[in-house]
Amino acid sequence: MLEVLDTARLLVVTGKGGTGKTTVAAALGVAAAGRGRRVLVVEVEGRQGLAGLFGLGALDHREAQVADGVHALAVDPDESLREYLARYGFAPLARLLTWAHLNRFITAAAPGLGDVLLVGKVWEAATREARPETRAYDLVVLDAPPTGRVVPFLRAPETVAELARVGPIRHQADRVRDLLDDPGRTAVLLTCLPEELPVTETLEGVAALRAAGLPVAGVVANRVTGDRLGGRAGRLAGLSRDPGPLAEAAAAAGAELDRAALGTLVAEARDRQRQVTRERRLLKELRAGLDGMALVELPLLNGGAGGPADVRALAGHLAAGPVEAPPAGPARRAAGAARG
Amino acid sequence: MTARTGGAVVRPAPASPLAELTRTARIVVCCGSGGVGKTTTAAAVALWAAEHGRRTCVLTIDPARRLAQALGLDLLSNAPAPVKATGLPARGPGSLDAMMLDMRRTFDEVIERYARDPEQADRILANRFYQRLSSTLAGTQEYMAMEKLYELHESQRYDLLVVDTPPTRSALDFLDAPDNLNELLDARAFRLLIAPAQRIGRGYLRGLNLATTAMTRMVRRVTGNELLAEVGEFFAAFEGMYDGFKERAGLVYDQLKHPSTAFVVVATPDGAALREAAYFAGRLAADRMPLGALVVNRIHRAGPVPEVPAAARERLRAGGADGRLLADLLELHVGLETLAAAEQARIRELLDRVPNLGVVQVPLLADDVHDVAGLRKLGAHLFA
Repeated sequence: MLEVLDTARLLVVTGKGGTGKTTVAAALGVAAAGRGRRVLVVEVEGRQGLAGLFGLGALDHREAQVADGVHALAVDPDESLREYLARYGFAPLARLLTWAHLNRFITAAAPGLGDVLLVGKVWEAATREARPETRAYDLVVLDAPPTGRVVPFLRAPETVAELARVGPIRHQADRVRDLLDDPGRTAVLLTCLPEELPVTETLEGVAALRAAGLPVAGVVANRVTGDRLGGRAGRLAGLSRDPGPLAEAAAAAGAELDRAALGTLVAEARDRQRQVTRERRLLKELRAGLDGMALVELPLLNGGAGGPADVRALAGHLAAGPVEAPPAGPARRAAGAARG
Repeated sequence: MTARTGGAVVRPAPASPLAELTRTARIVVCCGSGGVGKTTTAAAVALWAAEHGRRTCVLTIDPARRLAQALGLDLLSNAPAPVKATGLPARGPGSLDAMMLDMRRTFDEVIERYARDPEQADRILANRFYQRLSSTLAGTQEYMAMEKLYELHESQRYDLLVVDTPPTRSALDFLDAPDNLNELLDARAFRLLIAPAQRIGRGYLRGLNLATTAMTRMVRRVTGNELLAEVGEFFAAFEGMYDGFKERAGLVYDQLKHPSTAFVVVATPDGAALREAAYFAGRLAADRMPLGALVVNRIHRAGPVPEVPAAARERLRAGGADGRLLADLLELHVGLETLAAAEQARIRELLDRVPNLGVVQVPLLADDVHDVAGLRKLGAHLFA
């Protein structure tokens, strides 16, 4: 089990595009909720990826419940700008902005300002205190931009604040930095696939995040092909030349499988073994580069529809952890609940 | 080319919806979310076209290093160069060129083209705001890809241009790019922001004046004075170039809508990738862009194996080592069948939402594609 599921206030999920960042963020949220935490999953890129994963049409700038104990939010930069300005006493200006369509020009003149607003919103949700009119969370899971852009994204408040030594922008930037740099509260996780390019990019991403002083907690390797045959790969090579022994076993058990069917079965298994071997080699490279950091593997799901059932299944794996280590009592219960 | 005349009679009609469009289209745009194999798909389509007699150029944005090397791509030139690899048609009508797009350089070339004189071009190119704008504004990169595409199209050097779109934050940025750029360049509001004092004096605009002043203060605070001055200079330098720019963007946009262009949406059978593909297909339809085909890479397939009753499987498990192995093989096969069926269900679901869309399914290949031989193997699946 990933310890940070129980301890972090903010989980930042990044990774190369196409590695399942959003799916893993959703699954982390559901896994933490299964362990009794109140969770908010936040999306910042306007892709509406979370909505589909939770079986909903679309999410907006309001926090909506998407699963037991899980709320989700798609942060809108324009809305964030209005909130931000309102907070610092520029409410009429915020209204004017909408009217004059000026948001785009502001963010074009000051690249990074949009990111400041998005990060600011995440910080606000992660540090919010419960009041009658607001909901507080134990954990915020951020589906962050991909590895190539995540450091400038997270450091945007800092960059902007360099220009302001005092005042509200500086103050907020300091507090955002305090949260992001604190390994006790924040954990950055990278998603990866057991493929060549993603492994290389993940290791580069880990190095870049560490160099920026951000607390990297581990890597989630997604869509890993399970090794069901283990040491019997050599035997398969022999059987592909002569499936006779399998034919005998089939006949003895009364399974009606002709040689063509047996050939298909062996060929499929050998394809899969080749895939497993390649993936193990790449994961070994990844592990070596991670220097003892957590590496969690999630299986390629066979029948998943890329929706809520997949998210629950993956959450079960995240909460249960590697199969060789028997999960502790609470984790087992949580995993069961998440699967159900 | 033969396929369109006598050849078509001899050969059976190709089943792949890609074959027809690769033979006839002038432009093929491959789009889709990141990590789905857009670049390799585009390169394989271009190679197939070249080997079928067309003068082809593949324009790529961000290829994997090894594929770039294999295609002899060189960022420095920002111009097409012939792909040197064994087995390519040396003579005859077909040829394959490739280029890797340098966004910034393309933008610079556009400025040079529309500037009144070299001096105006230099002023813009040296402007810091321009330098930021050309690399950071959402949609700019996507637009520049289309701009280069249009330039090559106009040159008439090629029968077919194949391009892969950048892995955008949102695939939609790319369609919005001409609008975004136009809007920015036409930013009267932006000019107000730069020089509120001179431009706004009248009473009814006092509210806006106040607001822009407050905003100017804020932008100043965020960007520093110097940059704001550069913004002003940029717009001053840009004066008079705007109409040419806008007209050009209109032409580029029209060419993308033209029936001789075909968009190919690339995806994997993963739920998220297919959802993004559906969204993209919807947007293309809404903008009346010609959607040519859907390519789904990395498909799992299970072979034909009769179902074995549970009782027989239990007897296998209770048997010797080979019996247990066979039971495991059957289990793996059932898993593969389930996975394959789920993928097909997701693809059907997408097709229900986007009617009349030709689909090409490419099986999961044993190795990453990073040379011409690999592209040819991929092409065999794409055009099967």
